[in-house]
Amino acid sequence: MSAAKKRLWGALFIVILIVLWQVIAMAVNKSYMLPQPIDVLAHIWENRVEIFTVHLPATMQVVGLGLLFSVIAGFVFALLMDCDARIEKAVYPLLTASQTIPTMCIAPVLVLWLGYSVQMRVFVVVLVNFFSVAVNVFDGLKSTNQGMTELMETYGADRWQRFFLLRLPTAMPDFFTALKIAVPWSMVGAAVAEWLGAPAGLGMYSRNCMTELDAAGLLAPLIVLTVIALILNGVLSVIEKKVFSWKA
Amino acid sequence: MLEFKNVSFTYQGGDSQILKDISFSIEDKSFVSIIGASGTGKTTIFRLLNSLERPDSGEITADGKNISEIKGFAGYMPQQDLLFPWRNAWQNVSLPMQVKHMGADERKERAYAMLDKVGLYDCAEKYPRELSGGMRQRVSFARTLCTGADFLLLDEPFSALDSITRIGLQEWLYTQWKALDKTILFITHDVDEAVFLSQKILVLSGRPVDTIHEYKVPLPEARDISMLADSPVEKLKNEIISILRSEAEI
Repeated sequence: MSAAKKRLWGALFIVILIVLWQVIAMAVNKSYMLPQPIDVLAHIWENRVEIFTVHLPATMQVVGLGLLFSVIAGFVFALLMDCDARIEKAVYPLLTASQTIPTMCIAPVLVLWLGYSVQMRVFVVVLVNFFSVAVNVFDGLKSTNQGMTELMETYGADRWQRFFLLRLPTAMPDFFTALKIAVPWSMVGAAVAEWLGAPAGLGMYSRNCMTELDAAGLLAPLIVLTVIALILNGVLSVIEKKVFSWKA
Repeated sequence: MLEFKNVSFTYQGGDSQILKDISFSIEDKSFVSIIGASGTGKTTIFRLLNSLERPDSGEITADGKNISEIKGFAGYMPQQDLLFPWRNAWQNVSLPMQVKHMGADERKERAYAMLDKVGLYDCAEKYPRELSGGMRQRVSFARTLCTGADFLLLDEPFSALDSITRIGLQEWLYTQWKALDKTILFITHDVDEAVFLSQKILVLSGRPVDTIHEYKVPLPEARDISMLADSPVEKLKNEIISILRSEAEI
């Protein structure tokens, strides 16, 4: 099946789901419980200025900063674990443990420490994401071909040359995989943090709509976030294809 | 001249010795093959020559100097091509020069020249996945030449190729060696390959290897594959095969 056909099938499946949602919502006929997709779209259109000029930029700021710091923290942890097996043994279980704590449970603690600040929301995003970056990059570094490493040694390559010319390029596909996971999770992390409290943001907008029993308003920001996440992942896929054109 | 003097070796943590007091020498600008049963220690000899391992006792010297003191003493071509998949052909060839901090323009120019030498100038921008097995081995050989070493270690470079490609590359390698003025030490399992390419063959014997049988190949400098059927060559091949058979039974 050609790529265009696959994309067409994907789009068709989404259309079918939306139609199904519309039919069920019309059958239920209680907009405060299950709004029709058309109502959600109408809400987005009516509140487009507020959503796209106030709340979306606030959320994207948290997502952007959170992603950046997730990548930095993930790389730092991956490199530390890669440097020394003792660090790996000490840090890896802690990293795993950090992922067993539900974000909704740890976030209130972060509010106590950092208040309803941007830092708090960024911290939540980092907490959600840095593990996947760290583990993927670490696994990527560890997967370096031993024969290639020895070949570099025969050329007289030092530790840094082996790292930059061999190990880092080996780990890059894994890093990209982590990034593709991290983008949607950053959206989730930012929205969760904003639910707890924020001056602006799609999560906070959604929460406000919930208190007013406005189900269409509650879902509207989630639809926007989903579309943005899909677009960002699409952009990442294009970059990935370009960067890894050497792959089959 | 390269000399192994009473070299013994056991892998760290391993309980069985691989090499036991072996000695042999290789003249400059010669083509010598090492042949032996699987797991005898052929690759270990290469690892020692690459300074990836150190002998437990004995000494390996080149022109009287310990090889561990000679930087970039040997250029190594591994069994698998080990081309970096994210680098195209010329970038792979230029890798040893990049490690030596050569400028980008100069190494590109040299890599292209080297690819021209191995008949792959037009494939310089292609990635390994776009090259055939034989082409990849030639790129790998070009990369080995770019180490600048006069001593080349080729570790079963054609073992993974089909027989037609292998014969073609054997003839190609022999021509390259005559043109390059380098010393080549070649590992192989294939007796025909060893006889066709070499001036001298070293057959490893014993576990651990404690004896090396040396054979001079009775073929002229100008040779072709059909000469492998000549009577003195047949006799040599049979002699080597009988040693290998007895080794396999150990």
